Amino acid sequence: MQKRVALDRASKLVILILLIAWSLAFLVPFYTSFAMSLKSPAELSTTAAWAWPKNPSSDNYKEVLSNPNVNFARLFWNTLVISVTGTTGAVLSASLVAYAFASVKFAGRERLFLIVLSTMMLPGIITMIPSYVLFKYLHWVNTFLPLTVPAFLGGGAFNIFLLRQFFMGIPKELDEAAKIDGASHFTIFSRIIMPLSGSALATVGIFAFIYNWRDFMGPLIYLNDVDKQTLELGLATYNSLRSEQWQLLMAGSVLVTIPLIILFFSGLRYFVKGMAMTGFK
Amino acid sequence: MRLLSRLFSILLLQLLARSIIAAPVELRFVVWDGDESLRVLRRVIGEFEKAHPNIKVRMENVDYKVYFQKLLAQYAANTAPDVAMLDPQNFQRYARRGALADLEPFIASGDGVNLADYYKPIVDVHRYQGKLYVLPRDIAPIGLIYYNKRLFKEAGLTLPDGRWTWDYEPRPSQGTACFTNCLQKLTVKGENGRVKQWAFAPSWVGAFTDTVVFSSGARYVDRPEDFTQLNFTDPRTIKAFDWVASLANQKHWMPSQSEMTSVAQTTAVQLFISQKIAMYQCGIWDVPNIRAALKPGSPEFFDWDITLAPGHIDPATGKVNNSAPTGGSGYGIMQSTAHPKESWELVKWMAGEPGMRAMAEAGIAQPAIRKVALSEAWIPGPNTPIEQQYPASRKFTDIAVPSVVFPPTAEYWMEVSGLAFSKTEPIYTGGTTAKAALTEGNKIANARVTSILRQENLSPFNWKAGIGMGLAIIAAVFGWVFWPELKVKRTKAEKAESRAGFMFISPWILGMVIFTLGPMVLSLLMSTTSWDLIQTAQWRGAGNFAEAFGEDPRFWGSLKVTAIYTAVSVPLGIIVALGLALLLNTKVKGMAIYRTCFYLPALASTVASALIWRKIFQPEGGILNIVLFGSDGQRNPLGLASALGSNGQLPNWLGNEKLALPALIMMSVWSAGGGMIILLAGLQGIPETYYEAATLDGAGPWRKFKAVTFPLLSPSLFFTMITGVIASFQSFTQAFVMTQGGPNDSTRFYMLHLYDEAFGLLRMGYASALGWILFAAIFFVTLAQFRLNRLVHYGGDS
Repeated sequence: MQKRVALDRASKLVILILLIAWSLAFLVPFYTSFAMSLKSPAELSTTAAWAWPKNPSSDNYKEVLSNPNVNFARLFWNTLVISVTGTTGAVLSASLVAYAFASVKFAGRERLFLIVLSTMMLPGIITMIPSYVLFKYLHWVNTFLPLTVPAFLGGGAFNIFLLRQFFMGIPKELDEAAKIDGASHFTIFSRIIMPLSGSALATVGIFAFIYNWRDFMGPLIYLNDVDKQTLELGLATYNSLRSEQWQLLMAGSVLVTIPLIILFFSGLRYFVKGMAMTGFK
Repeated sequence: MRLLSRLFSILLLQLLARSIIAAPVELRFVVWDGDESLRVLRRVIGEFEKAHPNIKVRMENVDYKVYFQKLLAQYAANTAPDVAMLDPQNFQRYARRGALADLEPFIASGDGVNLADYYKPIVDVHRYQGKLYVLPRDIAPIGLIYYNKRLFKEAGLTLPDGRWTWDYEPRPSQGTACFTNCLQKLTVKGENGRVKQWAFAPSWVGAFTDTVVFSSGARYVDRPEDFTQLNFTDPRTIKAFDWVASLANQKHWMPSQSEMTSVAQTTAVQLFISQKIAMYQCGIWDVPNIRAALKPGSPEFFDWDITLAPGHIDPATGKVNNSAPTGGSGYGIMQSTAHPKESWELVKWMAGEPGMRAMAEAGIAQPAIRKVALSEAWIPGPNTPIEQQYPASRKFTDIAVPSVVFPPTAEYWMEVSGLAFSKTEPIYTGGTTAKAALTEGNKIANARVTSILRQENLSPFNWKAGIGMGLAIIAAVFGWVFWPELKVKRTKAEKAESRAGFMFISPWILGMVIFTLGPMVLSLLMSTTSWDLIQTAQWRGAGNFAEAFGEDPRFWGSLKVTAIYTAVSVPLGIIVALGLALLLNTKVKGMAIYRTCFYLPALASTVASALIWRKIFQPEGGILNIVLFGSDGQRNPLGLASALGSNGQLPNWLGNEKLALPALIMMSVWSAGGGMIILLAGLQGIPETYYEAATLDGAGPWRKFKAVTFPLLSPSLFFTMITGVIASFQSFTQAFVMTQGGPNDSTRFYMLHLYDEAFGLLRMGYASALGWILFAAIFFVTLAQFRLNRLVHYGGDS
C-alpha cells in the first residue's frame, strides 16, 4: 500500500513537470508577441525577437487604441456582434441537426450524413464568387448578415459532425428509458442530451467563437466600409505591402487575443465530468 | 381642393429639386495602403471633398495579398468600386477584359493633366494596346543601395557616389568604384572564421539578381505586354545568377542562404539597422522604417544614405548600364462606374499634384510627376526638419528612373516566371548550377506559356443546358439518397420517427438549399468551361480535367506535397493531441491555467503567428536552432547539424527545400490545440464508474487505457481523424503566409496552386475543375476511413 502511494506521488510529480514544461513551450509564441509589442522600432530591429525589452513601454498599445485609421473600439464591437451571433447560431442549430443524425432514425440518414460531410470537402475558393453574387442579390453585401445568418441554418458540417459523435457516445439506455416513459424526441434532446453535453457544447461554442473572431476571408469579401470591418482586417493594416509595423501588429494581436483567452478560460468551467453527475451505472 | 393639390405639387417639386441639387455623388475608392499612407490619403480626400462639394468619397482599404481577389468578386457581382488602386503587374487582367475605363479621352479633353509631366516609363507601362488605363501616382525603383557611412569609413573606403560597377572580379585599384572591392573590404570575419559583419544583403534576392541581369543588357522576355517566349538562358543571365550565388556560398560577402530566401524579407533592413551589414538593396519604401528606428541623437543612430545600385559597362558604348527592376502604382476607373466624370476628378486629384505632394512630404512614395519628385516635398532642402533629412542623396531616386525595367505586364507572367524561378532557388544554396537550373526552368515555363496561349475554338456555354444539367445532378443525388428508402416498409411509429428527424434537420436543409447547393452546383458546371469571371463562360468539356492530369506542370507535384503533408501531419497531430489531452485530464491543481497555456497557440492571430514562426525558424538566432544547437551554434546533438544544414551552416528551415515541409508540419502540430480540446472533452465524457470497475478487476494503467479510454474515446478520435484529413487536404493559409509555396515548390500545396489559377490567372473554370478533383480525392479517402467506423465504440453498443 505504501509503495503505491509513493508511486502515485512520483507519477504526480512527472505529470506536473510535463505540464509545466509544455506550458512554457506553448507560451513561447505568445510571449514573443508580447515582448515585441513593448519595444520601440529601434529596439525591435536591434534585439532578438524574444529578448525582454530594456525599456518596456506601452506606447504601441496607446497608438493601436487611438489610431484613427483602425478604430479599435468600433472594430472590437463589430467583431463581438458577429462572433456572438454566429456562435449562438452554430451551437443552437448544429446541436438540433446533430441530435437527429445521432439518435433519430429517419429515411436516408446515412447517405444524407455523407452529404453533410461532403460540404466540407469542396474548396471554398471556387464557391466564393457564386456565393458573393448570391448575397449581392439578397442585398446582404456590406452587412453582417452573410457572416451570421448561415450559422443559424445548419451550423456548419464540422460542428454537426462533432456533436453527433458526442451524442452517439452517450449511453442509449438513458434515452430508451425516457422513450418508454413516453417522452418525445424534443424532450429527450432538451432534458437529457443537452444537459449531459456540457463539454461538447462548450467545445463547439469555443471553436465557433474563435472561428468567427479570427475569420479573415469572410469579412474581407463581404464588408466594405471601414467602420463595419473586424479586428483581424484592422490588424492587416499594420502588415501591408511595403509598410510593416511589427511593434503595432504585435500590440494589436495581443489585444485581439486577450478576449479569446478570457473566453476560453471561463469556458473551461463546462469541461466537467458530465456523466458522473447523472449517477449513471 | 385645388389649393391643396397646388400646394402639394409645389411641395413635390421642391423635394425633387432639392434631391437633384443636394444629393452629392458618392464615390467608392479602394486602395491597399499601409497605416502611414492611409493617414495621408484621408487628409488629401478631405481636401478633395472641400474643393468638390458635390462629391463624397468613401475610402476602403484592402490588404494587397487579397486585394485583387476582392476586386474581382466585386466586379463579377457588379458591385465594384468607382476608383481603384492598380499596379503594372495586375492592371492588364482587368484592362484586356474591358473592366477598366480608357483614361485617354479624359486627358484629351484638356483639363489639366499633362502626361508629359509624368515619368515616361511609369506612364508607358500602364498602357495596354495603346490605351492608358492607370494614372500613375508613384514609381519605386529598386536599384538603390542603402549604406552605412561609418562602416565605409572604417573600411578605408570613400563613400559611393553612384558611379560604380559590379565587376565580377575585384579591382582593388578602383576603390569604391568597384562594387566587388567594396564587398571584400566591408566583410569582417571573427576569430572563429565566422562572419561578424557582411558587406551586403539584398532585401530579397530576386531583386538583386534581376538588377545584375538587367544591367548586363539581358531581359527575360521580348515583349513585356504580350510575350510568347521566355529567355532565361541568355549567357549574361546565367553568369549573373552564378555570380550572385557565389557571393554567398563561396565568398561569404553576403549572408548565405539564410537571408537569401524570400521568406526572410524583413531581415535585410533589420540587419542594416543593427549594423550587421554595411549596405543593402531595396526601394525607397524602407525609409520610414529606418527613420523610425534611427532617430538622430538616439544611441542607435549612425549616419546613412542611399546611392544608385552599380551597373555593368556596356561593351558597345563603354557607358555604364544602370538598368534595374522597379515597382509603381496608380489609380484607374472601373468601367462599371455610374459616375465617370466625378471619378476622373478624384483620380486627377489623387494621382495629381495635391495627392502626390502629400505622399512625398510623408516620405512614403516617390511622386510619378517629375517636377514634384524634384521639389523640396521629396528631396530634402535647407528647410527640411532634421528627422526628414535622411537620406540626404534622395536625388538618386530621380537618377534611377530613366533606366528602370518594369516586370512584364502580361497577366500570365506571374505564373510562368514563378515556374522558372522556383527552379532557380537551389542555385543560391549551391545545390545546382545556374546553367542547369535556368535551362530546366526555361523549358517548363515556355511549355506553360504555349499551353496557356493556345487558342482553342470554344463555343459559349449553353446556360439553358447547363441549368438543366444542374437540376439533373441535384435530382440524381436526391435519388441516390432516397431510392433505397422507397423499398423499406415503415410502421406508423417509424414514420413519425422519420418525420421528427426531418424536423430536427430542417435548419440544415434550409441552409443547404439557400446558401450551399447553388454555388456548389454552379462550380461543378463551371469545371467544364473556360471562364475568367468577367467575360462569358465557354464550353470546354473535359478539357480542364485533361489539362490537369496531362499538361499542368504543378498538378501532380502539388498533389504529392499535399498528400505527404496530410499523411504525416494528421497522425502525428492526433498522437500529440491525445498525449496532451491525457496530460490535461489528470487531477492537478491549477489545471485551467495549464489548459489555457496549451491552447494558446491556437488562439493567436494568423498574421502575427506567421511572423513569430518565421523568427522561430530563422537560421541565425532562431529559437529552434538555439534549442537544438546552442546559442553559439556549436552544439551538434545526434549529428543533426550536418544532417540538416549544409556547408557548415545551421539548418535554414524555411529556406531549404528538404526542410520547409517538415517545418510546416512541425508548425501544424504545435497548433494542434483544436484536436486536443476535442479529445479532452471526450475524455471528460467517460464515466468515472468504468475506471472504478476496471480497478476492481485489477487492471493496470495500460489495460485501463486499452479497455476503457481508447474505446470510449474512439468517437472523438474518429472525428479528429476524418476532419483532420479533410482540412489537411485543403491546407492553404500556412504556406500562403509563410513560404508562398517555395523553396522550389517544396511547400506548394494543391490549394496554393488552385488559388493561383483562380485569382492569379483568372482561370476560374480550370480552378473549379481542380477543386472538384480535390473533392473527389477527399471523398474517397473519407469513405475509406469510414470503414473504420465499425471499430468505433458508440454508447449504444456496449
